Amino acid sequence: MSQNAKNQTDKNSAVKEEEKDSPVLIQMAIFASILFVSSLISPLFPASFPVPTPVIGLVLLYLLLLTGVVKLHMVKKFAEFMIGLIAFLFVPSGIQLAASLDIMKQQGWQLIIVIILSTIILLVVTAYTTNGFMWLRKHVLHRSTDVE
Amino acid sequence: MILELTQTSTYPWAKWLGDALSVVPGKNLYFGIFLSIIVFLIGQWLFKISNGFFLFQPLFVGMVLGIFVLWLMAKGFHTDIATFYTSAYKPGGDLIFWFLNPATIAFAVPLYERNDIVKRFFVEIFLSLIVGTVISLYAIYYLSRLFGLSAQGIASMLPQAATTAVAMPISTAIGGNAAVTAMACILNAVIIYALANWLIKIFHLNADPIGAGLGLGTAGHTVGSAKALQLGSVQGSMASISVVVISIVVDLVVPPFAHLMGLM
Repeated sequence: MSQNAKNQTDKNSAVKEEEKDSPVLIQMAIFASILFVSSLISPLFPASFPVPTPVIGLVLLYLLLLTGVVKLHMVKKFAEFMIGLIAFLFVPSGIQLAASLDIMKQQGWQLIIVIILSTIILLVVTAYTTNGFMWLRKHVLHRSTDVE
Repeated sequence: MILELTQTSTYPWAKWLGDALSVVPGKNLYFGIFLSIIVFLIGQWLFKISNGFFLFQPLFVGMVLGIFVLWLMAKGFHTDIATFYTSAYKPGGDLIFWFLNPATIAFAVPLYERNDIVKRFFVEIFLSLIVGTVISLYAIYYLSRLFGLSAQGIASMLPQAATTAVAMPISTAIGGNAAVTAMACILNAVIIYALANWLIKIFHLNADPIGAGLGLGTAGHTVGSAKALQLGSVQGSMASISVVVISIVVDLVVPPFAHLMGLM
């Protein structure tokens, strides 16, 4: 393929990407295929190193997008829809705690406090550690840390 | 297994309702789906009319209200809440829960959309997540000891940065209780969803969108990532990458850490 023709097709696909989302059923089919393949890969990891199906699926879809096998317009609408629902999808997990009320009784209020503080620790420590590495990047390596 | 809720009830209406709900688990999905949607919508409504009062976050209200309804119904059927949850709510709840799988995969899209950030800060992102996790592990370990948790309790707390599916087997492997770890992972998400805006403000996390994103993804898993996405595309992308990387870091780091601390 000549350079010109290649540019032309690139341009075309870029325009298409802007223009039209794939039908919902196609988008769901891509998600279903990735989940299915991931569910086959997941058991290959040893029991001491669990990598669950959705985590493999996230990496797979990311790689497919990177390599251009799957274009953004083929998955974007459904992905946004699913992410918009996530707080609701988590309600059954929250209600699942009804089955763990006994554990809470056994372990007591200390456990709940430790979990609340641990959550804050994870958020703040990770964020501040990142700040530290960004500071190093800027002041020691003299590289830009600007994010628009 | 068929749960005989009907025989323990004294009211005719309860017999009819019990008949409908006490089916072979997996058969009556409607109650779980119905209750989940209703309590969440009530949460959204409360959140709206209270002008966004943080305790009225829809997820938190949905959880508390859902558990309260189950507790009330279990009382009415003279059974305990765990049994009632398993027989009446879980089949429908599991159906909704399953959709967290495609929802997790969906985070590849915001991740890819800010791939420029991922490429530029690749080293910083990985180092921050690894070092951040190790520091957090020390903090959580000593915090747990401070509050007098047993060795099993401490081991259950350590893997909570990973998603539930990773955290539970790791917890068992280092001598923890998988159910307690699952509870921690769920509460992480609920707490982050409820308190993220407030925590970001008091700890001034928004100055660095990359740090805020990585923190939200680490502490709040996929729910934290959804929250991060509301703050901006960079935050959302960073939270998405942290969900993946943290799970692998926990896989690799937590067992040796537990060994080092003499938990196993």
